[in-house]
Amino acid sequence: MIKDTDASGNAGILSFIQALNINKTNIINRVNRIGRVNRIDRVNRIGRVNRIDRVNRIGRVNRIDRVNRIGRVNRIDRVNRINKIVSSVSRPFSRFSTEGKIGIFGILCIILMAVFAPVITTYSPQRITGDSLEPPGFGHILGTDELGMDIWSQICYGARMSLTIGLAVAFISGFGGGAIGILAGYIGGYIDQGLMRVIDVTMALPSFPLLIVISAFLGPSILNVILILVLFSWAKPARIARSQTLSLKKNSYIIAARNYGAKPFYLLWRHILPEILPVLFVLVIGISSHAIVAEAGLAFLGLGDPTSKSWGMMLNHATGFRSIYFTPYWQWWLLPPLFMLIFLLLCLAFISRDMERILDPKLKMKKGF
Amino acid sequence: MVNDRNSFIFRSLSTLLVILVINFFLPRMMPGDPFSTTSADEVGGEIIVMTEEQHLYYVNYYGLDRPLYEQFLSYMKNLMTGNLGRSIYYKMPVSDVIMLHLPWTILIVVSATVVSTISGVVLGTLSAKNRKKGSDRIMMTGMIAFAEIPSFLLGLILLLIFSVYFRLFPLAGAVTPFAHYNGPTDQVLDILYHAFLPVLTLSLSQLTGVYLLTRNTLITVTTKDYIRTARAKGLGEKNVWIRHALRNALLPVVTRTGFMIGIMMGGVVLVENVFSYPGIGMTLRSAVVGRDYPLIQGILLVIAVSILICNLLVDKIYGKLDPRVVI
Repeated sequence: MIKDTDASGNAGILSFIQALNINKTNIINRVNRIGRVNRIDRVNRIGRVNRIDRVNRIGRVNRIDRVNRIGRVNRIDRVNRINKIVSSVSRPFSRFSTEGKIGIFGILCIILMAVFAPVITTYSPQRITGDSLEPPGFGHILGTDELGMDIWSQICYGARMSLTIGLAVAFISGFGGGAIGILAGYIGGYIDQGLMRVIDVTMALPSFPLLIVISAFLGPSILNVILILVLFSWAKPARIARSQTLSLKKNSYIIAARNYGAKPFYLLWRHILPEILPVLFVLVIGISSHAIVAEAGLAFLGLGDPTSKSWGMMLNHATGFRSIYFTPYWQWWLLPPLFMLIFLLLCLAFISRDMERILDPKLKMKKGF
Repeated sequence: MVNDRNSFIFRSLSTLLVILVINFFLPRMMPGDPFSTTSADEVGGEIIVMTEEQHLYYVNYYGLDRPLYEQFLSYMKNLMTGNLGRSIYYKMPVSDVIMLHLPWTILIVVSATVVSTISGVVLGTLSAKNRKKGSDRIMMTGMIAFAEIPSFLLGLILLLIFSVYFRLFPLAGAVTPFAHYNGPTDQVLDILYHAFLPVLTLSLSQLTGVYLLTRNTLITVTTKDYIRTARAKGLGEKNVWIRHALRNALLPVVTRTGFMIGIMMGGVVLVENVFSYPGIGMTLRSAVVGRDYPLIQGILLVIAVSILICNLLVDKIYGKLDPRVVI
């Protein structure tokens, strides 16, 4: 059966290339290459629904161009990979709904704010540059806090803090946990069983109270906060990656590839990881928004890094100010970090919701009730 | 199913064990002596200085001069007898401090659970009934956007709107300080008045989950054959929806309530701090600021145990409600 798909795949490509009147040596070269294990894999995989999509797309002009250019093997690989990345980014974007586009635009704005913080602010966020509690005006766009530090600068530099923690935690726990889950699912046996128990317990732990306690004992620093958050958020991606690996492992194209002599690492890297990666991306966005909330919450309780200026820290300082609610100060001291946090979280939520919808057509049907 | 239940109990027990181990090892993992750092942190301007005597008491209490396994055994023995140690800041047993503050937390968590479950079910039913209409879509979009705002930020917004801007509700506390009540009704009203915003915050943050769950299960249930049978028998719409559809759709909602309490116990720590509500969340913060380690550990244990108890209770109730589940 594997041979059949292989042969028909070869025949298809042959007739396709002949139809294009391409140089003969090129054709032979390519067909020869196809005879090797990695090529067969690819052809076998074309049999699946998402792959058919790809074959159909080869018929388009830019693809034909690519086929003409294929003279060397590494070329094929490279072009394939670049195309995959480009299409994986650009295709979903065109399918995003208005909300999702707003979310991406908002995130871009915040990232730009964080990156160009020194350019768009005139004062340092750590230095006293004005009177205490100045209302918004010409000198200070958003006013100053009780120590006379510029609020706009604090907001811009605080974006760095939130984004760093969110991204660091999300990527470490998302891809780390994902890797652990894939390995466990692939290896199976006692390792898998043991890991499942660990995941169960980790998910049942009351995460936020434990977060508070551990960071109280370990002391506040950015690294500690990131470490603790990673410790509590790796379980979900690991569990999902494991179950996906278990179901992927049984597919005939993977069994075929293994029978042709593919090494475990090769299988995981070329066949299993690319299938799980999109799901992991959605999880990463969810984890990053959780991490941002947790960091803000910890900082709000006074457990953030005291030397940094994060949005949670600003909330902590503002609500810790004794008569904040009886004076108009809250209008420019408390509202900006509050607004920014909510805005960032809503943007992330819009994006993850949209990505979920794009990746899982079943969910879309459910929503269309 | 029996296997499932065993694994559930196993999971709860191992979670408890993990928390106990974390609780046991954290103070011992700290570099140096955890009690020497307590000496000069300020709490609301007050400086805590630990006397040599107290210091010795804590070293003795934790048995830091004995081998590790002996320490762990005596720690477990103390826990079993309800001895959680003495709070450094309050200068009284940790269990007494917790008992003083726990009722407030239980009050707002339980009422928020009730409020969000009831209103979530009602809204979900309305939404499921009116699906494919405009009102459902508006409700759904609004609810989903709402769900993304974490509870303490929502609490801050509500506080700013209702207490600061309109001055309708109190800014802090669980009762009016130095108030004289004319009777028990007055006192209850005062407590409700102070608990209103915290409960509203917690309920709003949990509402969406219940709402979506009710709506989706109802929509699935209404496609079942027994609903068609009920309609064919000639029962009224109201009867069909309440007696036949809603009753069956409520089962997952019950399970959800257990998880909800777990999530809320995490959120309540922050929400109490937003409203300066004197529950264990506030106590936890002041314990953290004052480096009151025995109190921190005690509170963590209480929160963890209460979450586990809720989960077990829900499991039991579920068995009663759904006879198909074999216990």
